[in-house]
Amino acid sequence: MKWSWDRFWIAMLERAPGALYVHTKMVLVALVVAAVISITIGILLTRPRLKWLGGIVLNILNLLQTFPGLAIVALAMPILGLGFKPAVFALIVQGLLPIARNTIAGLYGVDPDIMEAARGMGMTKGKVLYEVEIPLAMPVILAGVRTSAVYVVSMATLAAYIGGGGLGDLIVGGLNMIWPDFIVVGAGLGAVLAILFDRVLGFVEKKYTPLGYSAE
Amino acid sequence: MIELVNITKKYAGQEEPAVKGLNLLVRDGESCVLVGPSGCGKSTTLRMINRLIEPTAGTVLIDGKDIRETDPDRLRMGIGYVIQQIGLLPHRTVAENIAIVPRLYGWPKDKIRERTDELLELIGLDPETTRHKYPAQLSGGQMQRVGVARAMAVDPPIMLMDEPFGAVDPIARNHLQDEFLRLQSVMRKTICFVTHDINEAIKMGDQIAILDRGELVQHGSPLEILSNPANDFVCDFIGYDRVVKKLSLCRAGSISRKDFCLIRESELPAAAKKMEEQRAEVSFLVDGKGVPRGMLTAKWLKDNGSAFTPKELKALASQGHKGFIQEDTLLRDALSLLLELDLDYLGVLKGETLCGAVSMADIRQYASGKEGD
Ligand SMILES: Nc1ncnc2c1ncn2[C@@H]1O[C@H](COP(=O)(O)OP(=O)(O)OP(=O)(O)O)[C@@H](O)[C@H]1O
Ligand SMILES: [Mg+2]
Repeated sequence: MKWSWDRFWIAMLERAPGALYVHTKMVLVALVVAAVISITIGILLTRPRLKWLGGIVLNILNLLQTFPGLAIVALAMPILGLGFKPAVFALIVQGLLPIARNTIAGLYGVDPDIMEAARGMGMTKGKVLYEVEIPLAMPVILAGVRTSAVYVVSMATLAAYIGGGGLGDLIVGGLNMIWPDFIVVGAGLGAVLAILFDRVLGFVEKKYTPLGYSAE
Repeated sequence: MIELVNITKKYAGQEEPAVKGLNLLVRDGESCVLVGPSGCGKSTTLRMINRLIEPTAGTVLIDGKDIRETDPDRLRMGIGYVIQQIGLLPHRTVAENIAIVPRLYGWPKDKIRERTDELLELIGLDPETTRHKYPAQLSGGQMQRVGVARAMAVDPPIMLMDEPFGAVDPIARNHLQDEFLRLQSVMRKTICFVTHDINEAIKMGDQIAILDRGELVQHGSPLEILSNPANDFVCDFIGYDRVVKKLSLCRAGSISRKDFCLIRESELPAAAKKMEEQRAEVSFLVDGKGVPRGMLTAKWLKDNGSAFTPKELKALASQGHKGFIQEDTLLRDALSLLLELDLDYLGVLKGETLCGAVSMADIRQYASGKEGD
């Protein structure tokens, strides 16, 4: 195993931009889809009529979460084949739980007195959801998205195994060829990307925290 | 008019219903206070009036119409509701909170802004500085005011108020109560008011309904309830100072007697005679402008003979120079003053002029008198 600065610069300048692009795209698509699905699930499961389902669905999601990422990636392959799509699918599955759990926790956490006041004034159930519950649960939901993002960024490196591309290509390639420089570039950029996502989402979270909450 | 007919509510899994066969009538423009110990079903009753909860049995009528015939959201838009825990939306400003119901009605923006400012002034908050604040930036008392203003936003004829002044200290509460009574004397809304504090009930209610474990034990005016408590529970609930509480329902002007006489300083030596002639038990010493300066009672003069010099008489009379109250003074406060000054009579003033006298015996008679005596 020998370090080569030539290969390091090839990895950095020629391979990394494309890999970063694919990686980011994969993460973004997976995150957006996972967020839409799990926020919907979260909202449905906190409606009085579906409350009984809540526990069951959360258990299933918990189970999915315990599957090793690699196993999901491997399981997705025979069904969806190789490439970008199955990789994104595997990431979506892995990204669901934190968001769903936080959505449910956030919606349950909305002060029932505030909801009673809102209902008591004649707001319809839909209005209460959009104007009261979701805004008040938003910080918690966004915290879930943030957790999920960090998770998905790192998981996405496994996508290389089923031809998803991204930074994983550099790592897997480096491991196969025993090129430490490639591995360092792939892993290092992965870490930077994770931190970046975390920071940006942290900023969004702060921005969406209802003003009344921060104004002590 | 709100009518509860045989209302029963049993929550799922409850052995004893939270509300049992309740019948209650609240007339237009009248306030009815539901009062009782914690858990007796007050909030449950209130929530059945705006359909946040459906009764297990029985009917609620508003202006003679079964409320089940109205869409619940529509019904609630027309009923002001103040909840026990205030429940302001923390992510909305004060103005936005007050504007919730007007927005549901689709009022134009200008009208909403005007109404919001009007309400803020009504509840004693400066619109300029308060409008854009968030609930977290307000004091507890200010939040309760905003909660009440929010419920009054579209001027609903009916208001349901669940311990609206519960979350503030006694001084602020007293102040809010007085302000609300002042508003209500003009607005004349039909109000269902919940409290667990009997003093608040006596103060705020035209009618009081006392509940115990979901059942109505007594319904009547504060005076009726304080004069004739229905049973031991009501007695205990009112407390040992029932009679003193009753004294806070009556103002001095309404029981004052007219058999007093006015004397000038020059007439002091002849006071006893003048009182005898006029069959008055008490005479008030007034100066040239008619301003009261003191009093003499027949009893004092009798006890001490008539061997007084005019100077001694004046000194005696001016012992009672503090013993004057306004006609709108509560009997409770009048009694306190009588005890404090160790007097038998108080002069009752209307502004600056004397219009009557109240004696210890008058208060005693009022206190012991049953309703209708
Ligand atoms: N949603 C509910 N489900 C089951 N039981 C309830 C529910 N709400 C209230 N109860 C029960 O019904 C009874 C009456 O409750 P309610 O809230 O009407 O009391 P309250 O008179 O308003 O008391 P407080 O003065 O403490 O507010 C209580 O025993 C309470 O435990
Ligand atoms: Mg209550």
